[in-house]
Amino acid sequence: MNVMVRLVYRNLRANLDKGSLFFELIFPLFFIFIQGAAVSGIVPPFDIGNGRVVSYSLFLAAGAVTLTVINGGTNAGTQLWFDRRHGMFEQILMGPFTRAQYIFSIIITTLIIGMAASILVFVFALPVLSGISITLQAALLTGFALFLGTIFFGAFAITLSVALKSSEAFQIISTVAFFIFLFTSSVFFPVDRAPGYIQAVSLLNPLTYTTDMFRAGLFDAATTILPLEITTLSIEAAIMFTVAVAAFRRIKV
Amino acid sequence: MDIIAVESLSKHYGDKKAVDDVGFTVSKGEVFGFLGPNGAGKTTTIKVLTTLVRPTSGNVRVLGHDLRKEAKQIRNKIGVVQQQESYDQNISVEGGLDLYGFLWDVPKQKRAERVEILLKQFGLYEARKTPSLDLSIGQRRRLQVAREFMHDMDLLFLDEPTVGLDSLARRATLDFLKEKVKNGLTIFFTTHILEEAEYLCNRIAVINNGKIVTTDTPQNLKRKFGQSKSVDFKLLEGTSPELVKLIERIDDVNKIVQDVSDGAYHVTTAKPEVVIPMLYQLAARLNLHITSIYIAEPTLEDAFISILQEDKS
Ligand SMILES: Nc1ncnc2c1ncn2[C@@H]1O[C@H](COP(=O)(O)OP(=O)(O)O)[C@@H](O)[C@H]1O
Ligand SMILES: [Mg+2]
Repeated sequence: MNVMVRLVYRNLRANLDKGSLFFELIFPLFFIFIQGAAVSGIVPPFDIGNGRVVSYSLFLAAGAVTLTVINGGTNAGTQLWFDRRHGMFEQILMGPFTRAQYIFSIIITTLIIGMAASILVFVFALPVLSGISITLQAALLTGFALFLGTIFFGAFAITLSVALKSSEAFQIISTVAFFIFLFTSSVFFPVDRAPGYIQAVSLLNPLTYTTDMFRAGLFDAATTILPLEITTLSIEAAIMFTVAVAAFRRIKV
Repeated sequence: MDIIAVESLSKHYGDKKAVDDVGFTVSKGEVFGFLGPNGAGKTTTIKVLTTLVRPTSGNVRVLGHDLRKEAKQIRNKIGVVQQQESYDQNISVEGGLDLYGFLWDVPKQKRAERVEILLKQFGLYEARKTPSLDLSIGQRRRLQVAREFMHDMDLLFLDEPTVGLDSLARRATLDFLKEKVKNGLTIFFTTHILEEAEYLCNRIAVINNGKIVTTDTPQNLKRKFGQSKSVDFKLLEGTSPELVKLIERIDDVNKIVQDVSDGAYHVTTAKPEVVIPMLYQLAARLNLHITSIYIAEPTLEDAFISILQEDKS
């Protein structure tokens, strides 16, 4: 069987434990079914662009799908972290594989987990999202958003796991980063109505663009700045990816 | 063709010469032992030979392939048990064996057969459903050694594979390896335990401070370096630090240690006939009484220690 298939299957088997599945699936579902439903009572439906007016519950459901990409990405970093800590990294590199194949397999695994988890959350969220019709263009745009987001956060987590030696540091910093990315993005609120300093941070945050792209596709709510957002996210993902590969190449065994 | 051919191999980490100009060859079907104290350079040598790290200089051919140019071909045909633990924490013993076979592209049917055999051979049958993280250190070590036999190979590297095993498991592992060697496997084996090297290896290279001090068969090593014998004696009074100090000053004494289990003193010396009368004199001077004394034959351990001591001086 193909080398990449073997590596990716192994990564999936080795890393899909119940704990991370819980976090990847249940956590977003809380937002969709509890927070979204509850907050909808006090927030009237609002315009999210292109004249599209949606309820907060719908708005948040889309955000909850994109926040799964951070979890999927973190999974990549955690995997590399454990492979190094538990000697599997060296073991694989002394087997019939190359370094490039290994890191590539981690990235593919991340994409599979990130996209699959997002799609699952999306499917669970369908009762809330009822009434939307997905065109081919929408599917492409949402798919591309999830792809870029997963690449960015996967690469980010890989870089962290290379840079941070101790497991406490890795845990703490990735958790802190997770919350910063999450709460300064457009997952929970429309950025253009937030105070200026939050807007400033949001505009650097790749999760904002991932989420905006995703909503634009899902709700047919493209704004005029969407092409700019797609370009920015693509550049951010490409830079992060390059940094991750460079960091990975420097790992000493 | 030599299975491993190493010429003036060095590996430096900054100023540290972890491996310093070593050379040796290993032929097919041989168990070649690398014996040395901690920090001698054993693991570094294995990391170089298994293509994990690049040598600083030297020529190395493994299984006929150039280490620098044909690393991939080498890795396709070797097995490695690292000194470091290696496992997937969430995966069970049998799952881990199977998954490792899968990584090596072993067909499903063959994997299932091998898993059954290895679980039994390595005493892991009862623990087969246990996740690796919950195993004892010894069980995890056995799993790591067993796992390497999920795939076929021409050459196996073992870096202190028996560390953490009890004596029964250790012997079972060594016997398993012996059986594989009978069927044509070549093994490169490192250890700091002499009995193990003697039990398993055809030839032993003693390594210290990155350099090979000597390479020979276990029998010859004993003959060449095992001149020193052990004079074992007991005191009626049990212990006497004063006496130990005096004995240490005797020129012909290499070292003296007390066995904690039975209180006997072991004096290593090349000249027991000189040392024994002096022991009696010194004991008498301190008013101590020697209740038993005899000369023990040299062990490989004594040989090893005298090699390292010679190397130091
Ligand atoms: N990555 C490294 N960086 C710096 N020094 C190292 C590194 N790896 C090993 N060394 C040093 O090289 C020497 C040999 O180490 P090693 O090969 O692990 O010895 P052994 O396996 O015989 O105990 C030691 O002094 C060790 O500290
Ligand atoms: Mg070592």
